[in-house]
Amino acid sequence: MRVDYKLNDKLDFWLFIPTLILLCFGLAGIYSSTLNNHFAHGNFQKQLFFGGVSIVLFFVIYSLPTNTFKYAAIPTYIFSMLLLMAVLVVGKKTSGARAWLVLGPLGGFQPAEFAKLGTVLAMASYLTKTSVDIESFKDIVITLAIGLFPVGLILLQPDMGTSFVFFGFILVLIFWKGISLFGLYLVLSPGFVAVASLFGIYYFIAAVVIVAAALIYFKKNIFISGSIIAANLGAGFFADSVFTFLSPHQQKRIESFINPSADPLGAGYNAIQAKVAIGSGGFLGKGFLAGNQTQLQYIPEQWTDFIYCVIGEEFGFLGSLIILICFIIIFMRIIKIASSTRDEFLSLVLLGIFTIYFVHLFINIGMTVGIMPVIGIPLPFVSYGGSSLVINMLMLGIVANVHRTRKNYT
Amino acid sequence: MKSSSFGSPERKTILYSLVFIVFGLLAFRLFQMQIIEKESYEIKSESNSIKPIEQIPLRGVFYDRNGEILVNNIPAYTLRITPEFYDRKLNNTIEKVFDLTPGFISDILQLNKIYPKAQPIRIKRGIDFNQIAWLEENHDRLKGVDYVVEMQRGYPSGVMGAHMFGYTKEISPQLLEKQKDYYQMGDYIGYTGLERTYEKDLRGEKGFNYVLVDAKRNEVGKFKDGTQDKVSIKGKDLELSIDAEVQKVAEQELKGKRGAVVAMDPKTGEILALASAPDYDLNQFSYVTSRAYMNQLYKDPEKPQFNRATMSVKPPGSTFKILAAIAALDMGVITPSTIISCGGSWFFGRSFKCHTAHGPLNVVHAIEHSCNVFFYQLIYRIGLDKWAEYCKRFGFSQKTGIDLREEVAGFIPNTKYYEKMYGKDWPRSIMASLGIGQGEVSVTPLQLAYYTSLIANNGRTFTPHIVKGYRDDFTKKLVPYKFKEVDVNIPKKVFDVVKEGMFLVVNGGGTATSIRMNEVKIAGKTGTAQNPHGKDHAFFIGFAPYDDPKIAFAIVVENAGFGATWAAPIAKKMVQAYLLKGQKNVNTDAAPEKGDREDAGHQQARNTKNKKAGNSFNDKNVFAVLEENKLKYARRL
Repeated sequence: MRVDYKLNDKLDFWLFIPTLILLCFGLAGIYSSTLNNHFAHGNFQKQLFFGGVSIVLFFVIYSLPTNTFKYAAIPTYIFSMLLLMAVLVVGKKTSGARAWLVLGPLGGFQPAEFAKLGTVLAMASYLTKTSVDIESFKDIVITLAIGLFPVGLILLQPDMGTSFVFFGFILVLIFWKGISLFGLYLVLSPGFVAVASLFGIYYFIAAVVIVAAALIYFKKNIFISGSIIAANLGAGFFADSVFTFLSPHQQKRIESFINPSADPLGAGYNAIQAKVAIGSGGFLGKGFLAGNQTQLQYIPEQWTDFIYCVIGEEFGFLGSLIILICFIIIFMRIIKIASSTRDEFLSLVLLGIFTIYFVHLFINIGMTVGIMPVIGIPLPFVSYGGSSLVINMLMLGIVANVHRTRKNYT
Repeated sequence: MKSSSFGSPERKTILYSLVFIVFGLLAFRLFQMQIIEKESYEIKSESNSIKPIEQIPLRGVFYDRNGEILVNNIPAYTLRITPEFYDRKLNNTIEKVFDLTPGFISDILQLNKIYPKAQPIRIKRGIDFNQIAWLEENHDRLKGVDYVVEMQRGYPSGVMGAHMFGYTKEISPQLLEKQKDYYQMGDYIGYTGLERTYEKDLRGEKGFNYVLVDAKRNEVGKFKDGTQDKVSIKGKDLELSIDAEVQKVAEQELKGKRGAVVAMDPKTGEILALASAPDYDLNQFSYVTSRAYMNQLYKDPEKPQFNRATMSVKPPGSTFKILAAIAALDMGVITPSTIISCGGSWFFGRSFKCHTAHGPLNVVHAIEHSCNVFFYQLIYRIGLDKWAEYCKRFGFSQKTGIDLREEVAGFIPNTKYYEKMYGKDWPRSIMASLGIGQGEVSVTPLQLAYYTSLIANNGRTFTPHIVKGYRDDFTKKLVPYKFKEVDVNIPKKVFDVVKEGMFLVVNGGGTATSIRMNEVKIAGKTGTAQNPHGKDHAFFIGFAPYDDPKIAFAIVVENAGFGATWAAPIAKKMVQAYLLKGQKNVNTDAAPEKGDREDAGHQQARNTKNKKAGNSFNDKNVFAVLEENKLKYARRL
């Protein structure tokens, strides 16, 4: 009893058990969706292997001295940036993006996965320097630069999904750091205008009007107001040019999100089939290995980004909800640990990790239920993929580590 | 500010809210999809993965009355193009290899644009083995081009039957729009003739095999192990009342002419032969019909697709005299012994001519000699409207209701009509020619055959029909269809009188003695209808044997001349084919028995003939004798 208590005190089961459940659901989904696919045979075994590896890694990270992360922050960032640059040169091209570094028999590795953690560490590290003032223009710019540099490299691959994750945690980190409403407005408004401009000229104009209206609320002088408006307009036009810069399949996916039924056999196909799979699952699902959408391969590569459809179809509303609840427990846990630690660096790192998971979850499940465009991004712990699983478990290890040593910092 | 706002409780609350909003959104969306809209997604999911594969059943075949197969199904290879994968650059090559006219493929593809692109379109049926070999060899090059085995109609008996059988064709988009519940694009449907009338019986019921398909539409297995499959039901095999031999004779005799032949069993209303000339080759319709052939058919001034037996209308000439005789006798305006004198013409407002001065005649002899003067007068005794009413009772001015949709009603004038055309004081002299079947009377050959059947069977018969019923697939027995019985309610004695006249037309001193036969007694009536556009139309109606009619017929040869010369010989050949069938061998044995029914003189004559010809019955000798006889009689109308 005493041992149990001690163990529970150190290893956070609220964090660990839901993760194991997610892993199991993921393995079941991968098994089911690859059963009838000759090209994906062995994916289940691979995932099982990486699951084992990542759990070991989790405990390794869990046991490290907590200071390690602080020291490792900048080297990790630099190393991951080098990898990101390397992948642009020697990376393997799959479905239009150069995102993979080939690592012999283990298959590929996606540096972008690693770069997320590296960037979170680096940003947290910079933001917790004693000299940094989040309200100063210079520090905001440097913080953003640390965060956006890898985004630029990732957009060159191009991989839009991952760059959204970066936007997410950059925002959350400066928010958690304590940026003022006006500062947040300054950072956010160009992005808001940029996204609106993709929907067409009227959305663009409306967004600029809203931004201008908010300026009146902040009562800033004419010079600042004018430059903010100019920056926003610039962002809008920049977004349009970025849109044309995107690969055609990504452009199509954005367009098909705006109107998915326009081309049901083309880019909107996955979105429609995913919804059909989930919707037809009903409350209890069609049963393990009994989902016809899944078993008949209606959704290409379902074991990766569309894994949630397998669960939705075969395990129904109940299974889908269990996944969501597991995530919600993990998220609450991370936020709780992050806010209870006195160390700002660790707090920021945990918030960054939370955001990485959260954006992944929102975009991934959002696209399978049709409230987000189809953006290729895996569901943490569930989707097939070695590098993603390993990094996610590694990050969870950091969270568990902070929990383990929380008393040293409170 | 810095230290106080880092990870402040407010900011924590904002993050928690964000998490719960997103979870709420996702959970609500899941609830909406998986609980509320579950059924609509289920339907989509099922239709996604279950593909019904149509099983087209064999179309019913046609047997003749003796069990000979007239129309059947033969396997054939069909060239198809699936537009989704097809490259139009191949058009020229394919058109060359498959003997298609240039532009044929693009035309067909254009026509089928309204259908889904993944649906294969039939280009040509009945491609040969060389062409199949070519397809196989160039398989890789010919994306979207393939072939399938399908059944097509075959006509093994040698009977043409173009107008009667009709043809099947790929259903047109217009027709498909109306009958979407059963047919699909590319289905064949009966377009004309019996194929059209009996479409529902012939087609059977399509079956469906449900198979599971993956996203690439590859079949991966049966749906629920085939328990939901629907087995196709074979089309019904129809037994026609047609006698293949009689039909062949009719078609043969009409070759190179324009006209129609209809032969019936007067007791049952069954059609024994129905031919129209010129005709066309149904085999051409078994394939995807070549445009050249279709154009040829449409442009042909002789209109080969027009069924003259049921759709051409003409004044029936002297064949109509029987009707006036029946009406007059039935009404009692004349008796069999009433004498009318013919002086070669009759004056009523103007002079009406006869062929010769027949002198005093009763009705029997008036029919025998086809005296015009007798019948000019008769119609005035009957009265126009009464006459029109008798016409109607014998089926004129209305469709007979035969099982062919291609039929017209014809026309019989009455007082109302003349008043409308010429006013209240219409010249009564117009009526005179109606008595001899001239003027504004128009009838179809089928109506004439029906009318003749009524005469032959003393006023009773059935609605004319070509199909007797269908053959039960298990018992192989005929399941007859029901047909309406007709009775004109005229006493037999009236018919006896006119039939005697018709007997004499062939066997007395009448107008068709050239076709007299000792073996079978034919009774008939010739007719020649004046044609303002050219030579007269030749008519002959009649029945045989005289004392127990088994076949009644009407023959029309357009622009031929005298009915006796052109139409009557066809009748004789049909009677021989039908009633003397197989007698080439049995004749000698059968002769004495048959002879009992015949008078001694004929018996003797036949015996002499048989001696001459040895043991076998020889047509040529009979014809030679008849030719001689023919010359002995003055030809009359």
